[in-house]
Amino acid sequence: MRRAPTLIGTALLAAAAALSACSSSSSDSSNGNVTLRYALWVDTQAPAYQDCANAFHADHPNIKIKIEQTAWAEYWTNLTTEVTAGTAPDVFTDSVAYYPDFQTNNQIVDLEPYVKRDHVDLSHFRPGLADLWVRDGKRYGLPKDWDAVALVYNAKLVQAAGVDPASLQNLTWNPTDGGDFEKLIAKLSVDDHGRRGDQPGFDKNHVKTYGIVLDLDAGAGGQTSWGNLAVANGFQFLDKNPFGTHYEYDDPKLAETIAWIKGLQDKGYLGRYSQHSSLGSDAVLASGRAALGMAGSWMASTYLSNKKVDFAFAPLPAGPAGRHTASNTLSDAIYAGGKHKDQAWEWVKFLASPKCQHLVAKRAVVFPAIKSASDEALSAFRSQHMDMQAFVTETSQPGASFLLPLTDHAADVAETVQNGLDGVWLGQDSPADALKKVNDHVNGLFK
Amino acid sequence: MPHLTTGQRVGRTVAQLVVGVTVVLTVFPVLWMVRTALTPAGDLFGDSYGLWPHHPTLINFKRVLGMTSSAAARAAGGSGAQLDFLLYLRNSLIYTIVIVVGQTLSCAMAGYALARLRFRGRTAVFGTFVGSLMIPPIFTLLPNFALVKQLGWLDTFPGLVAPTLLMSPFSVFFLRQFFLSIPREVEEAALLDGASRARIFWSVVLPMSRAPLFTISLTLAVWSWKDFLWPLLVGRAENTRVLTAALGVFLQQSPNAEPDWTGLMAASTLTVVPPLLLLIFFGRRLVDAVGFTGVK
Amino acid sequence: MTVVQTAPASVPALDPPDRAPRTRRKGDGLTAWAFLLPSIVGFAVFFVYPAVRGVYYSTTDWNLLSPPKSVGLANYRAAIHDPEFWKSLRVTTYFVVLSLVAQLAIGLVLAGIMHRLLRSVMVRAVLLLPWLVPNVTIGLLWMWMLDTNLGFANHLLHSLGHGTEGFLTDPNLALPSIAGITTWAGIGYIALLFYAGMLQIPQDVYQSAQLDGAGEIRMFFGITLPLLRPIIALVLVVSVIGSFQIFDVVAVTTAGGPVGLTKVIYYYIYEEAFHHFRMGYASAMALCLALVLGVLTWVQMRLLRASTSDLG
Repeated sequence: MRRAPTLIGTALLAAAAALSACSSSSSDSSNGNVTLRYALWVDTQAPAYQDCANAFHADHPNIKIKIEQTAWAEYWTNLTTEVTAGTAPDVFTDSVAYYPDFQTNNQIVDLEPYVKRDHVDLSHFRPGLADLWVRDGKRYGLPKDWDAVALVYNAKLVQAAGVDPASLQNLTWNPTDGGDFEKLIAKLSVDDHGRRGDQPGFDKNHVKTYGIVLDLDAGAGGQTSWGNLAVANGFQFLDKNPFGTHYEYDDPKLAETIAWIKGLQDKGYLGRYSQHSSLGSDAVLASGRAALGMAGSWMASTYLSNKKVDFAFAPLPAGPAGRHTASNTLSDAIYAGGKHKDQAWEWVKFLASPKCQHLVAKRAVVFPAIKSASDEALSAFRSQHMDMQAFVTETSQPGASFLLPLTDHAADVAETVQNGLDGVWLGQDSPADALKKVNDHVNGLFK
Repeated sequence: MPHLTTGQRVGRTVAQLVVGVTVVLTVFPVLWMVRTALTPAGDLFGDSYGLWPHHPTLINFKRVLGMTSSAAARAAGGSGAQLDFLLYLRNSLIYTIVIVVGQTLSCAMAGYALARLRFRGRTAVFGTFVGSLMIPPIFTLLPNFALVKQLGWLDTFPGLVAPTLLMSPFSVFFLRQFFLSIPREVEEAALLDGASRARIFWSVVLPMSRAPLFTISLTLAVWSWKDFLWPLLVGRAENTRVLTAALGVFLQQSPNAEPDWTGLMAASTLTVVPPLLLLIFFGRRLVDAVGFTGVK
Repeated sequence: MTVVQTAPASVPALDPPDRAPRTRRKGDGLTAWAFLLPSIVGFAVFFVYPAVRGVYYSTTDWNLLSPPKSVGLANYRAAIHDPEFWKSLRVTTYFVVLSLVAQLAIGLVLAGIMHRLLRSVMVRAVLLLPWLVPNVTIGLLWMWMLDTNLGFANHLLHSLGHGTEGFLTDPNLALPSIAGITTWAGIGYIALLFYAGMLQIPQDVYQSAQLDGAGEIRMFFGITLPLLRPIIALVLVVSVIGSFQIFDVVAVTTAGGPVGLTKVIYYYIYEEAFHHFRMGYASAMALCLALVLGVLTWVQMRLLRASTSDLG
């Protein structure tokens, strides 16, 4: 009858509605059991945090933790989309660079009342880490880990070039002629005919092994590449950090650094950006296509557990203003739109506790924020024959590590800087012009 | 058959070659995708580019179908994230079938009313529908997202299917044109016998309209199967994530070093299998349907 | 490319004349509205209402997180002065032209060959496969094939002695590569549309031309193409509208890069809305795009009406 089609339609909608009942929201609290979603990006750390999740569940049987991993490249856009849709995870890994944006939009919870209520000990963290998360008297995260950046090299290729590994411990660099650093890179570059970069006739268009591979997609601070060299050249990102409002990307010291890196590309010592593939730096190094790289301490286990290639770390080269390494720190933040904030706090508190951080330390994948856990991680690395001395050397000197820019509008700044630098790497803009445009645009955001 | 000149023979061969090359170019990437899916991740770096991998393995399929442990997945080159492409396949099927059935029925009813029934406002309604054909989907996508969010339907199937479940201007138009073209005599006879319009529609007209209904259903099925942005925005939870969105998310979940190519190709193969089956079983009707939609 | 949301070739007759004597004079109002109810509900709630709201949002600064505040025409002014907006329109136009020319040319040739030489259903079915596969899959598949280090395409180039090409990362190659990918995906479908049109041409036209001594190529240009004009026009309309809205392949392969050279307008709108939370601005740009496409459709419909089929 006439009703038949509409009956079918209604039945379909009902079926759809019934099916939707299966797609419940993230936390199902039908019988007091809660499942919290926890987001992170470093896949090598997922097992370590699963250890914590298991330990936490043993202590809190009615709370389960579901770990969600998204790769770095998409982590922030994915998270912001979820925040927009109101479906962000209950707890997520937050970075010093990005948290102000969440804070200004009231998307993360102030932890200070909880911290005071539960008397959380903040003194056992490495100095300076806890306070980075405080703004206007409110606390937006508890420290999770810290990291630094060092040089990573293929020991066999270095040896084949006749270079003494000990000389890598004290490299010098300057933007004019590149210092020891460029000499080393040239020597390590080999073309298809076996000629090295410092030999006459080196064919920069047919390079078999690049002296260096750099992560040129490195955000507002160039954390894993240009940032370290720029600061070693005396460059300063902001009028004050954290929470400055005036960037100084148009500083000639930065332009010189960028120009030097672009020069490496032109000389054939660094792979061309127009041909950068889907492979990350570690895959390029692992395949032998490059001999040297810059790596964050969070990548250490990936490199040092590679059975086919013998990798080692060395401190970054010292520039005119000394040796500096970007040192970043992460925290765990509670999503303001979550439905189980009290339980989320329990998880965050646990993540910042010695128990969890020591579990993470044992896995030798990262340096946790608590001093004792950090030391234990170092031992764990050592016991797995992973030499992390380079990172320790770098960060033990006072003033050697620097903070990445921490201001509002982080996402916009990062995108502007990246687009500007992309133009330089692709040869479409000179460093000075590109950086001037970047600086104007970025400072315009703060007016 | 007339005698072919040399020129004609050459021309024929060239033409056959063109078609042959096109078929190879069409099929090869798909074959390559399957080949990669059967390759262990560690072997990707090797220099073998043969059509068959040296050590074919099903581990990649097992990974994406959620049949391995997290540790095994990581060892095989994945990121350790728990994937369940069977679930996403189910979601895609639900999404497609619900929309196909819902929209076909609803638009058939509307098309019939606009073609056969006399009522005030018929011209206005039809004119509005036709006019809306000129408005691209992007314009309603953002507000629809806001609407679905406000209805609390994010991450639910109702939210997913809502905008397209009941109508699309094209389907209404297409079916209306068809209903206009069928002879009135059968309907008139049934009317004289006292049958209601509804009965005529259901028992007389619809059975006669199998071809265009099938055409529209097929077109809708293909469209829903391929839909990406809307399900990506609205179906973010596991239980409502469709295959296309899952592929996008999977890409995002790759280990930080590089995309998990073997896993991605395995997952991609899964999105090709249903269309391939459709082609194998309904190849002729599909091919005819395309012509039908375009030419009419 | 979606066929579902585009205008058809034939001119819609709004009110067909009655050929049979009417047996009911009082009209079918109630029945009609009952039949129309689901469609009208769907149309009103998920088309008209959002369209109106879209216009409203475009006059606000809405960011999905806080209530919208009116800003008048500021978004539109911003769009006009936004170099990224114009750049993305240029990029999209360049893409549309590239992919259209390729698909039309190759599609016509393929269809012509199949029409005159090779009536195999299997061939046509195989060629249709890419059209059935989601664009996301196609994007991933080609991203893999075109990869700089591991992709098959570069392997082939190396074995031919050529250097590596960064198909999707080189500023000069990125957009043509995307156009190539979508051409690959659409060629079978387009060829089939043309093929169906060619089927309507009576065989005796060709037979008499052959008797006059005309060769295949001459017949193609002299008979097939002219008679196919309305179909070609239809495919043009469908393809332009569809290509202008390309999103999936770009989202999965280049995300608008390098340096925005593949940032088509649809992707730019999506980015503004869901990465930067600028829903108001995104809505304004969506409205602009809708207007552009609406005008394009209308112009092409008029050209369609003007070109009557030579088949009579």
